[in-house]
This record gives sequence, C-alpha cells and structure tokens, in this order.
Amino acid sequence: MKDKIRLALAQISSKRENKSENLRKIEELTIKAKEKGADLIIFPEMSLTGYVILDQVYELAETIPGPSTGKVEALAKKTGMHIVFGMPELSEKTRATIFNTAVLVGPKDLIGKYRKMYLPTHSVFEEKRYFRPGYEPAAFQTDIGNIGLSICYDVFFPEVFRLSRLKGAQLIICISASPAVRRGYFEILTSARALENTAFLAYVNLAGVEDGLQFWGGSRLVCPTGDVVAKAKYDEEDFVVCDVNFGDLRAAETFIPTLRDLRPELFDKLKEFSEQI
Amino acid sequence: MRLHRHLKLTPSLLEIDFSETQKRICRFIKEYIENAGAKGIVLGLSGGIDSGTIAALSSLAIGGENVLALMLPEKENFNQKDIDDARVVAKQFHVETQVCDMSKALNGIYDAIPVFDQSNRLCKGNIKARTRMIFLYYYANNQNRIVCGSSDKSETMMGYFTKWGDAAADIAPIMDLYKTQVRKLALHLGIPKELALKPSTPALWPNQLAESELGIKYETLDLILYGLERFVSPEEIAKELAVEKVLVDKVKSRWIANEHKRRMPLTPKIGYRTVGNDFRLPRHTY
Repeated sequence: MKDKIRLALAQISSKRENKSENLRKIEELTIKAKEKGADLIIFPEMSLTGYVILDQVYELAETIPGPSTGKVEALAKKTGMHIVFGMPELSEKTRATIFNTAVLVGPKDLIGKYRKMYLPTHSVFEEKRYFRPGYEPAAFQTDIGNIGLSICYDVFFPEVFRLSRLKGAQLIICISASPAVRRGYFEILTSARALENTAFLAYVNLAGVEDGLQFWGGSRLVCPTGDVVAKAKYDEEDFVVCDVNFGDLRAAETFIPTLRDLRPELFDKLKEFSEQI
Repeated sequence: MRLHRHLKLTPSLLEIDFSETQKRICRFIKEYIENAGAKGIVLGLSGGIDSGTIAALSSLAIGGENVLALMLPEKENFNQKDIDDARVVAKQFHVETQVCDMSKALNGIYDAIPVFDQSNRLCKGNIKARTRMIFLYYYANNQNRIVCGSSDKSETMMGYFTKWGDAAADIAPIMDLYKTQVRKLALHLGIPKELALKPSTPALWPNQLAESELGIKYETLDLILYGLERFVSPEEIAKELAVEKVLVDKVKSRWIANEHKRRMPLTPKIGYRTVGNDFRLPRHTY
C-alpha cells in the first residue's frame, strides 16, 4: 500500500441524460489526471447522467456491473487509474429498484460500490421518490489505501462516516450534487466529518445549472485535522490535483484522539433514543 | 442559507448579498441561452424597475448586443415618461430596442370580440398583457431568442399578474426576489435611483399603481410574504409588524388562492402518467 497518493478532483458539469458525452468527459479527464501523476480521480454524484433527471432515471439506471461501468473499467485498465463516479444503479436482483450509487473502479477491476444511505426528500430534492436507500457503509482495501465512499446528504449524518472509518477507511470520498443555497452547511460539515474521524475527506461536487439548481462546486480535500488543503473554484467546472499523505493520520490521531476515545456503550443509547423521536 | 427565525421581521431580513445574487442570475441566464442554442434574449421593457433590472442582468450575462428590448406602448395608456425611462436603461446597458405600437392590434382584438365590453377595464387590461406576450413571442420565434420574463416574487406569490400574459416567458430570472430586493439589486447594478424607486404599475390602464391595487406597501407586503414563506403564523407576523391580523390573513388567502396561476392547467387523473401531475421530466434547454 502506498503512503502517499495523488488525487484529481474532477468538478464537472454533467450533460443531463447524455451518458456518452459524460463518459467522454470522464475519459478525457482521467487521461489528464494520469498525465498529472494522479492515482485516483473522483467525479461528482450522478455524474454519468446528471442529477436532475426525474422520471428519466427509470430509463437511465443500469446494473453494476453494466455497460457504463464496463466502459469505465476499460478506461481504468488502460490508464492504470482508480476512478470514482456516481450513477443511478438498477438492482440486478429485482430489475426494478434503483439506488443512487457511487462506484469505485480500479486498474484491475471494479472494486466496489456504495449505495447512498440518506436520500434527501425535502425542499427541491425528491430522491426517496426514486431511490431505495443503501444499508452498507463502504470501506475498500485497495492498492492505494483504504477508501470509503459516501454521497452528498450523507454528510449531515456522522454515523455514515464513522462507520466507514471504523470499517477501515482512511480516505473517505464524498461525491455530491449540492446546490448553492446549501454551500455553507457543506463547508462546515465536510471539515467536521474529517476532523471527528481523523480521516482524509475528498469532497467532489457538481458545477453548472440543472433546472434552475445551481451547483456550487467548491470541491476540496480536507485533511484529518479538518483543514482544507486543496479547493476547487466555486460554481464553475474545475480540475484540482492534490496529495494525500497517509502518514499524517497517526499525527492527527495522536493530537485529536477521537477514535481512541470512542464510547461504544453510548451507541445503544443513541439507537434507543433515535427510535423514540 | 440562514432562516433568520431568531430575528424579528424587519427590513434587514431582506438584505442579501447582491453581488452574489447578480452573479448567480447572470450565470443562470448565460447557461440557459447557451444550452438552448438561442441567439439571444427578447424582453418587454416597460420603464418599470422589474423589466429594467431584467434588461440590465441580461446584458451583463450575454452582452447588450444579444438583448432586444421591446417597448410596447398603446394609445390609451401612452406614457412618454415610461418610454424615456426605458430608454435610459437600454442606453446604460447597451441593449438594442424596438418600439412596437400595439394600438392597432388591440383595437383589432376589441373589434373582433362580439361581446367586448369597453367598461370592463380588468378584462381589457388582461388583453393588453397577453398581447404584449404575443409580440415578445413573435420576435422570439422569428429571431431564435428566449423570452425573458420580469415577474418578481412579491407579485407572483400574490397572483398579481395576468395568467398567460406578463408571466408567460421561457425564463424568469428574478422570480425568487421580492420587489424590495429587486429595487436594491437595481441600485446595485447602477440603475438610477429615480427609476429603482419609481412606483410599480402593470400599466394595464391609466394611473394604475400596484401598491394601491394591492392595498399595501411593498415594504410591508414583502415582510409578510417572507414570514409566510417560513411558516410563521399570521398572528405572529401581525404582532411583529404591528399591523392588523386581517391584513396578513388577506395576503395569505390571496397567495394560496392564486396557485392555479402558477401551475400547469389541472386535469383529472386518467392515464398512467399525467402531465402537470406525476409526469416529471427534466426541463431541457437543448
């Protein structure tokens, strides 16, 4: 496993319902990332299809593995890159149920996927109308470190990140489609999730406008002390390369020993009380 | 996004970052026009503050040479001051203008309606608003332009517009800004104070003034609407603004009663997926 890895935060604006154009962009930027020496490139939530696709999700969702992940696998093999992107996933089992999923593909094969656990269904969001929530936190041991996955609104729920961290993740990726009016919340929470878990957190948001929703970009790498060490532009497409040094984890955990000080017995109370809201 | 409910309903709640707002609206306009593959924008420029602000924002977004402002006077309601004010904004933001006198078209419509009643100024006024829409869409179709509407949040929430008339547009860039916020945005954009603070009128008949018709000053209306938007009870709003509760109730009733003007026409559910109901497709501009 490498001690240091290089990330590319690919803050793109997806073309809605246009998988071939989005796959083309994924390929172009993956090649660019490789040229910049990156090991891993990260694309936003639903970057394969665009975010505001409403009923078209029924036509656009694909199984994993499926045609689009097959293309990304071929790209990862060709470039030797790790790639994370978002897509609507059609359940292989039911052929009807859809999930909002983050996919991690490695140079050898498809490494894993994460189905979004918290689906926003309020204000301008309608995710529960379309998606079933996932149940499994994600942490995958790879050649470039243990990588966790999460998606957008999950960031409001510390347990998603804690579970991922406790499962072994050292770098937790959060892909997102967050509109501008919520920027302040995400800027606080991405730092909080990294700090409370003493983990690296790479947040990659969409840019551009879909159906009046303006995605604020602002993708970033947060280090285990909560500091933002790399940041993409607000609102517009951007491409940022940054480095993760896993050696920082021990120094952070020594200074802020949040994992040492965990109190598992409190989690029973948390469960009990949360069932009584 | 702060909710401000810990604060009292005061005008400071309507203060927003106007630089950021300008940036967001301009980006919205620019992306829409680019994605639509349109050659530009056409808008109705009345001499009022909403359309003046829209002209300015459109120009800043895509360049004044791509913005056509139609001035649509008509004999009964002709007001040289409005034309002059419209020209001030057009000149300031380098927007192309075209004057179309609607008088003949309007007289043609009045003559063609067998039961047309000259004395019913509301019905007649609505014809004017809808005729303006026809002129705007002619230029849009003929010149591959997008119709940019100038409805603001105050009048939209109140239903203070003509159905399929002045609210008919392809995009409505300031529909999420209250009137008093539009005025401040106009000042931020450099529109002269005299125009930014000019009393609003739909100009459907002579001497028509929005605040007289609505029966309330925009400064008060906007704070009532701000409270209603955030689920503050009418009792609390009335108390905080020191106004009669009956006034707040009236605003609330009017807001709710006019939802039909803000939606697709209602249809009974018969099929598998129904337009305007559970047929949900993304709005593509390309």
